[in-house]
Amino acid sequence: MPRRSSLPVTFIVPTLVILLILSMVPTLYAIIIALQNRELSSTAYSYVWFSNFYDLFFDRRFLNAVWVSVKWEFVTVIATMVVAIGLGVLMFEAASPRMRNVYCLLFIIPVLLPRVSAAFVWKFAYHPLYGIATYPYRLITGGLIFDPLSKPATALFAVASVDVWQWGLFFAVIVLKLLETLPPQPIEAARLDHAKRWQIHAYVTLPMLKAPLVSLMFVKMIESLRSFDLIYVMTRGGPGVATETLDMYAFSQGFIESGKVSYASAMAVLMMIATVITFTMLWKRVQA
Amino acid sequence: MSAIVCSHVDKAYGATTVIRDLNLSIEEHEFVVFLGPSGCGKSTLLRMLAGLEDISGGEVSIGGKVVNDLDPGDRGIAMVFQNYALYPHMTIFDNIAFGLKRQKVPKAEIQQRVEAVSKTLGLDPYLGRKPTELSGGQQQRVAIARAMIKTPKVFLFDEPLSNLDAKLRNHMRIEIARLHQSLNTTTVYVTHDQLEAMTLADRIVLLRDGRIEQIGSPAEIYERPANLFVAGFIGTPNMNFIDVTVSRVANGWTLTNPGTAFTIDGSRFTLQDGERAVLGIRPPDLRTATPGGSENLLAGTADLIEFHGNDALVTFALGGKEISALVSSRACPIIRSDVRYTFDESSLHLFNAASGASLLRQ
Repeated sequence: MPRRSSLPVTFIVPTLVILLILSMVPTLYAIIIALQNRELSSTAYSYVWFSNFYDLFFDRRFLNAVWVSVKWEFVTVIATMVVAIGLGVLMFEAASPRMRNVYCLLFIIPVLLPRVSAAFVWKFAYHPLYGIATYPYRLITGGLIFDPLSKPATALFAVASVDVWQWGLFFAVIVLKLLETLPPQPIEAARLDHAKRWQIHAYVTLPMLKAPLVSLMFVKMIESLRSFDLIYVMTRGGPGVATETLDMYAFSQGFIESGKVSYASAMAVLMMIATVITFTMLWKRVQA
Repeated sequence: MSAIVCSHVDKAYGATTVIRDLNLSIEEHEFVVFLGPSGCGKSTLLRMLAGLEDISGGEVSIGGKVVNDLDPGDRGIAMVFQNYALYPHMTIFDNIAFGLKRQKVPKAEIQQRVEAVSKTLGLDPYLGRKPTELSGGQQQRVAIARAMIKTPKVFLFDEPLSNLDAKLRNHMRIEIARLHQSLNTTTVYVTHDQLEAMTLADRIVLLRDGRIEQIGSPAEIYERPANLFVAGFIGTPNMNFIDVTVSRVANGWTLTNPGTAFTIDGSRFTLQDGERAVLGIRPPDLRTATPGGSENLLAGTADLIEFHGNDALVTFALGGKEISALVSSRACPIIRSDVRYTFDESSLHLFNAASGASLLRQ
């Protein structure tokens, strides 16, 4: 008979307590601060309860940030998945096993770059005079200047493309590997069933991979929420507020422009609640 | 007109040739079985007919049309795979209808044809289910329905029963035989199971190492095996082989082996004096010798008796070789007793020891 031992408890409890403290204390502290009126410029504060939240709903810059965040989320997640599936299928169809390995290696490199480095690399690539990404435009138009990062209409997409460059290519490798794990017979059966190449993927392989693809999409959705470093380096939320996502705005309210720590905290808390609710609902839907 | 003609067909993977210079013609409405041990190239050949493998050399034509460069979908064939290869995310209805949808057949016609096919195969209660909710036998029936609905010129079966248990395999084998009787579509069927081959085939194509060893009806292949390989491969329990030396005597021929000698008339065979040969005799063709008889005896001590029900397989050693005799279980000797068996010359097979070719007169 194995004796009930206190050993597992001894090992697990301290770690769990540390984890709990690390995750819960900052969260609780953020909630408490959000209910106060702290500012960086003074030590005096009092409880204002929900007035910070109330103010947020009349702050046009906040509403803009919400809209930019939603746009950012949609653009990056959809573009990443499209690029990943497109490239993954293309490699599966057209590349020899040897070339697949070469592409996989190349496609993993961008995601290994630290975000800040990737942001700097592309910031320079988008440079209107010297950048390699704008070079074709200069060549075609005979030297006209195009600065994608300083135009409100293109800035968000220019930054998003860096995110897609990092994650879309990486996910393409995962999609390829997923396709390679599929049994070949249903694909062969589909070929005998008069399915064209694209139809085989649209009707057979990709539906067979639905569960892992949805998981990938969730990973990307969560990852896209953490866009701060990329946007901070490339545009700082500009031009104007064109790329100012919620975390950018919260940061500038809290630490750069006005030092309204409580106001920024309220935004963070709201973001957390919205994220938790959205993801729980989405997850439940997918599971059903 | 022949339904399928393969002329000088080769298949190579890099430097390895798996099929070389294969010639075969399959008639319309025929049920042909490719039979052979694992790795003999039978599945590869079938997949080449289907268009799932490139043809390295030679020409394959189906229905009078060369199909070497045609897509699998355009060859007028339908295939049933060993592991069913159903689309796991689709309902049974969608699985069966998939090919018709791709061909843009009108919806009403699809509905009608799926219903007709599923009725034939007894699948109508399951049309709304997913493949994983069906048993192996039902899944294979769906795969057959998916092939049938396309009304192909040729059915290809790639070991369709190998994943089923023994009882279901018998049942499905009968269903496939019935199906062929009613549809009468040209069928090519790959298996390593000789029982399936024997019971289903109009003609068996026996393959080894990418070459055809013999083509013939099941009876021909069983009764007149062309060489040692065919003789050893076909028939359960396996044929007994005894190395002998042939010599001419006054009233016929003797076949001598260090342990024993047989006298035969030899008129069925083309024999030469002093030739080294292999004598083959099937276990069911051995019968208990009469007590006084001394002609053509195979005698020894029974060291293994396998009870099969109606029959029993008696194994004994003769000149260092194991010999088996299939006898009625009622006349079965007890283990470690002496046994004496003899045979009729009409059931004897003789093969050239060097080439393995049968010595039977054509």
